[in-house]
Amino acid sequence: MRSEFRLPSLGADMERARLTQWLKQPGEQIRPGEPLATVETTKGLIDIESYDDGRLVEHLVQPGTEIPVGAALAIIETEGVSRAPPTPTPSAPRPRSPQPVGAAVESPMTAPSSAPAAPPVAAQAPAGISPAARRRARELGIALEDLATAAAGGVVHIKDVEKQAAKTPAVPTDAQAVMRASIGAAMARAKREIPHYYLGHSLDFGPARAWLTQYNAPLPVKDRLIEAVLVTKAVALAAARIEGFNGYFRGGRFVPSATVHVGAAIAVRGGGLVAPALLDADQKDLATLMRDFSALVTRVRAGHLRSGEFTAATITVTSLGGDGIDVLYPIINPPQVAIVGAGAIRDQAWVQNGQIIVRPILVLTLAADHRVTDGRVGSRFLRTIADLLAHPQSL
Amino acid sequence: MDSSEIRTKLLSLLASVAPDIEPDRVDPGRNLRDQFDFDSMDALHFATAVSETFGIAIAETDYSQLASLTAAEQFVQAQLAAKPETPPRTVSPSE
Repeated sequence: MRSEFRLPSLGADMERARLTQWLKQPGEQIRPGEPLATVETTKGLIDIESYDDGRLVEHLVQPGTEIPVGAALAIIETEGVSRAPPTPTPSAPRPRSPQPVGAAVESPMTAPSSAPAAPPVAAQAPAGISPAARRRARELGIALEDLATAAAGGVVHIKDVEKQAAKTPAVPTDAQAVMRASIGAAMARAKREIPHYYLGHSLDFGPARAWLTQYNAPLPVKDRLIEAVLVTKAVALAAARIEGFNGYFRGGRFVPSATVHVGAAIAVRGGGLVAPALLDADQKDLATLMRDFSALVTRVRAGHLRSGEFTAATITVTSLGGDGIDVLYPIINPPQVAIVGAGAIRDQAWVQNGQIIVRPILVLTLAADHRVTDGRVGSRFLRTIADLLAHPQSL
Repeated sequence: MDSSEIRTKLLSLLASVAPDIEPDRVDPGRNLRDQFDFDSMDALHFATAVSETFGIAIAETDYSQLASLTAAEQFVQAQLAAKPETPPRTVSPSE
């Protein structure tokens, strides 16, 4: 059976993307989860993955072309029935749902097949471009194709971009403004549609920190854990145990997810943030979760994420601890129904057994969807996270 | 290894853990967290790269010694001086 491989929506904010590179050529075999193409979005480069088993028949769009969400990119020959469900539910066994998280577009798969792709552009983008240079090019409104000659076939650096900018005065497109507008759109939808309720809980992070120090002491730096990984794992386990926080609100009802994919809010340097998913976070041991987290941050910094990471998160964790902020009140990323915030871990006066002692205190906050849960079960959820962190060996 | 060699290496390590910054725009005296929004994962990646490249042990309590480029340079210099018998390993940060 032949089917069209379409550009998925990778967030509420995304309307179009530019095809940067084909990773599979006509005639090549493809497997589910394999990246087929790289596109450039306001969030950086993203590898778009296949959901089908089969063979790539034909490219419909050439690199350099701007394409709208839902546009057909290629023709794929699949074996038997296409595995791409038109409206997959988050509880489906497939870990990476092609459904957008935080998407205003209800389903990228329902976009009209007549969505016209822009005419192919013949010019080629340069072979390599540093993320900083890519950002600068966007700021200065320099087309990547124009940089190919500037770099003389090599990797484009920021100085090449600025050299090119001096030669060809262009209209600047403000990448910051684009990202800000896209975050605004997603958050406005959340505030408009989701009746948030908020809970906060202070906990003694001492046991977790002591356990972590002991765990890390004999290890080389690269194998050490960071505090955020413990918090992420605790949230994932609590989300798996207590129903009502892990899944999507869609079609007027809560659809729980059988798998726990924790979105990790990661600040993008220069402004904005992304929240790609740590897949199956409740099932992974801390060392594995740490490696996944580390790789995810590396890909965010390099401006090169995978589409599955954007669309999979079933709950989000966000932290402003590094900035020294005690408490944050996060906004839910629709269609998710909960987000957990972690503030700075700070030495404070704490009462224990009638004594005032100094302990490292972490304030966790929960923003949850009142259409799904009430404060009572929200309290249980937060306390479960706190209990898990009080017994770090259970993580 | 003299201080300019150390600085050059540190700058290339910074560029490898944070490819979204331009090494020639680093203000050496300024805190990396304030300058580039370094989070705890960035700090760990930098510490890993420093530890492996220079062949020095870095305790968790010493992460703060890598807060700025100048601080990191001084820290590395002191560690290398304290352990002259440890030759710097030629290990790529991605190992």
